[in-house]
Amino acid sequence: MTQEIQSKLNGYITAEIMKQPDRTLGADEALISGGLIDSFSLVDLALFVEETYGVRLDDTELNAQTFDSLAQLAALIQSRM
Amino acid sequence: MTLNQIGLFAALGLLGGALGARLPRRWLLLALSVLAVFWLQPATPIRNLDFWLPLASLGLSAVIWGLTLPAGTPLTRRDATAGLVTLGLALGVALLRYVPDACCLTASRPPEVLPVSLVLAVIAGVVWLTGRGFAGQPWALTARVGLLIGLFVVLKYEPLTTLAAAGLRSLGGQDASLATAYDIRWLGFSYLAFRLIHTLRDRLTGRLPHLHLDEFLTYAVFFPAISAGPIDRAERFQKDLQSEFRLGGGTLAEAGGRLAQGLLMKFVLADSLALFALNPQNAAEVQSGGWAWVLLYAYALRLFLDFAGYTHLAIGLGLLFGIRLPENFNRPYLQPNLTAFWNGWHMTLTQWLRGYVFNPLTRALRGRNWPVAVIILCGQVVTMLLVGLWHGITLNFAVWGLWHALGLFVHNRWADFAKGRFQLPQRLAAVGGALLTFHFVALGWVWFALPTPELAGRLFRLLLGGMQ
Amino acid sequence: MSESARFVRNVLVKAALLFVAANLLFAAFNPLAWLGGLSLYNGVLPGRLRLPFSEEPQKAYNLSLNSLEAMFASHVLTAAPKPADELRVLLLGDSSVWGFLLENEDTLAAQLNAAGLQAPDGRTLRFYNLGYPTISLTKDLLILDEAMRYEPDLIVWLVTLEALPREKQTFTPLVQHNPGRTRALIADYGLAIDPASPDFAEPDFLERTLWSQRRPLADLLRLQLLGPAWGATGVDQYIPPTYTPREEDLPADEDYYGLERDFSAADLAFDVLATGVQRAGETPVLIVNEPMFVSAGANSDIRYNFFYPRWAYDRYRALLAEEAARQGWRLADLWQAVGNGEYTNSAIHLTPAGEAQLAAALQSYILDSIPSSGE
Repeated sequence: MTQEIQSKLNGYITAEIMKQPDRTLGADEALISGGLIDSFSLVDLALFVEETYGVRLDDTELNAQTFDSLAQLAALIQSRM
Repeated sequence: MTLNQIGLFAALGLLGGALGARLPRRWLLLALSVLAVFWLQPATPIRNLDFWLPLASLGLSAVIWGLTLPAGTPLTRRDATAGLVTLGLALGVALLRYVPDACCLTASRPPEVLPVSLVLAVIAGVVWLTGRGFAGQPWALTARVGLLIGLFVVLKYEPLTTLAAAGLRSLGGQDASLATAYDIRWLGFSYLAFRLIHTLRDRLTGRLPHLHLDEFLTYAVFFPAISAGPIDRAERFQKDLQSEFRLGGGTLAEAGGRLAQGLLMKFVLADSLALFALNPQNAAEVQSGGWAWVLLYAYALRLFLDFAGYTHLAIGLGLLFGIRLPENFNRPYLQPNLTAFWNGWHMTLTQWLRGYVFNPLTRALRGRNWPVAVIILCGQVVTMLLVGLWHGITLNFAVWGLWHALGLFVHNRWADFAKGRFQLPQRLAAVGGALLTFHFVALGWVWFALPTPELAGRLFRLLLGGMQ
Repeated sequence: MSESARFVRNVLVKAALLFVAANLLFAAFNPLAWLGGLSLYNGVLPGRLRLPFSEEPQKAYNLSLNSLEAMFASHVLTAAPKPADELRVLLLGDSSVWGFLLENEDTLAAQLNAAGLQAPDGRTLRFYNLGYPTISLTKDLLILDEAMRYEPDLIVWLVTLEALPREKQTFTPLVQHNPGRTRALIADYGLAIDPASPDFAEPDFLERTLWSQRRPLADLLRLQLLGPAWGATGVDQYIPPTYTPREEDLPADEDYYGLERDFSAADLAFDVLATGVQRAGETPVLIVNEPMFVSAGANSDIRYNFFYPRWAYDRYRALLAEEAARQGWRLADLWQAVGNGEYTNSAIHLTPAGEAQLAAALQSYILDSIPSSGE
């Protein structure tokens, strides 16, 4: 399940946000603090998660303290499903 | 905080650490924080205001605590004790008026005991009623956010501050015509207001955990962070308060390191640079472009060393008491682009605004099918304007905010354009980017440091071309 | 003992030992004078045009300190060896020479430089402002003594009666905080100043420690840190937009430092003036009785101004002329050389126009005083 979520997130982030669809992100690669996702795209990511999994990420959660990697984000989503 | 105040807090921390677990830490922190609000409040020309403002900070926090309680939560003994301790301490501070040798904790002699008792009773009554009647009511929560923003505007907009000062002066029988905006220097209000708005808003979205009164008050006016931040989050603060704490060698070494670093940055380096850092006076007098850059570099460094040094001190003191306050700076001047700069400068304020302004706004606009670039521009402009106006509601701070909004927008569009198309060599991007970013930020400080467009214009002409 | 307590103890013990060692070393070697000579001025920073002095460092980018070494190191006089085509003239005196309420371009030194005077041998006269606020001949002598290292060709020493009373000699911070230099002058020239005067600051061993000397040390550092602001702005004095003008109406007081009506030269510090001339050696010294305001208000029949009863000043002028004749001094008595409207906040502080009048009056005396070529 976690794998599935991660790969789906990976697909969205690389294609829609990074515009590098061929790339594969590491499960622990720093997304926010590493500068891969800017604050605007973060909101898009939250909307994507909401549409895809029905899980609401609060506006105050869109930061590196709450999640900074695919693994952390997937875990967060799973804990709320 | 002055050196003496920092020294005393550190000594208390060490003493507490030596006494160890025998001391009920949460009561110690509450008492210290309540007393520190009175102690750190600077003197004001308005009679007794240096007592009433700290009391207002505490009263406001307590009332908002009552509002943010989950509806139907019973008031516990612990809350009652915390309330009584706070009331008792405030009364004690006022009573020092009658102890000539010990007077005073406040900057000037506190008011008489009768009015103080009355006000304390009213505050207690309002808190109790609020907790009973309005806890969790959305309209009450929203109204309180409005009140805080209103107060904020009054304190940050000079004409209104002066008007309020005149009102307070005539209330106390002082000459209202002498009122100035400097009459009301409310210690830490900018930070307090943002902490309180955060609790109100998170109650509205149901995300705020239940805090006891002592936890809430300590969070709101935690003494290391009262005068210059950082702006913590309540649930994070509560976690630290509730966890077991013993002052061990590791923590002590870390706290000592942070304090030493903070003292060096703030009281040695920043205060030295202040002697030739850009200010309105020397901006009007500087005679050449080269020297103008010297003044500007000194200002940029001083501002960082002062604020980041202060944050080190706050974090170091917090550690001595088992509270790990959030970081506020992360090598801002070495960041490769403006977006990264803002992820490393006054981080707790920008995170606050991102969470409560930028993200909700972007989310709302995203539903409207506007072009992406327009949404991004709107988000950046609104957010950065607020960052600017947070420092004071003036033209120069607004221009400074816009300067950064446009910078962020340009960087965002550039990064978006470059994405997947080409990549600069990493070294070049890092070094060149950092240099470019620093200078963009430094030039932005011209707006921040100089109150009038004339002065800023004079300096820009010197900096960028030397035509006078 | 717990790990943390041991750690704290170790840190505290080491810090205490270092602190004590640093203090003892500092007191033993007393490096303040040497430190004072270290300066960014005349290198990274432009040299100052007058000796550092200010009670409002933040506004003036300048401060008062007691280290003559640091004061000279910051002055443009010490920037470089004297060029061959320069005839070096030093101006000594009180706040009127320093230029109280005057921008640097309006001081006496600046006005004289602007005149572009030339010596017969073709050298250009370059004037340096070594005036320093507070009125005391001994303070001037200290500065002259140090300035002799910088090869002056002529010294112009502006004096007024207020600099001569005995009690004024040691009653000024610069003299009080440089007891070693002052005592050496007393011993070498037999000055009538008590070397054991309680006016002298005499730090004992404990007072010479790093901790006790933190103020003078901080002053040295602040003088350097104020340098960039001076360099950037050319400002070294805060000049308020308005000031209280010199007093026109005077008290009916005829006392002057308890002196008798027929006081003699020995009652005043003429010996300090003579010492200055002697210390200058081959370098000629032109002594100038500086201009002063003459009041026309209440009690002006018995007093000239805030400083002087008429009888005392008249007697001083007579004695000054006598002493100059007796000792062969070059004297220019210019007490009336400036129009009465050109005084600012005191009976000796001049407006820019007043300084210009004084500079014009001084020129011929200066040209007459310069040594001929090859001397």
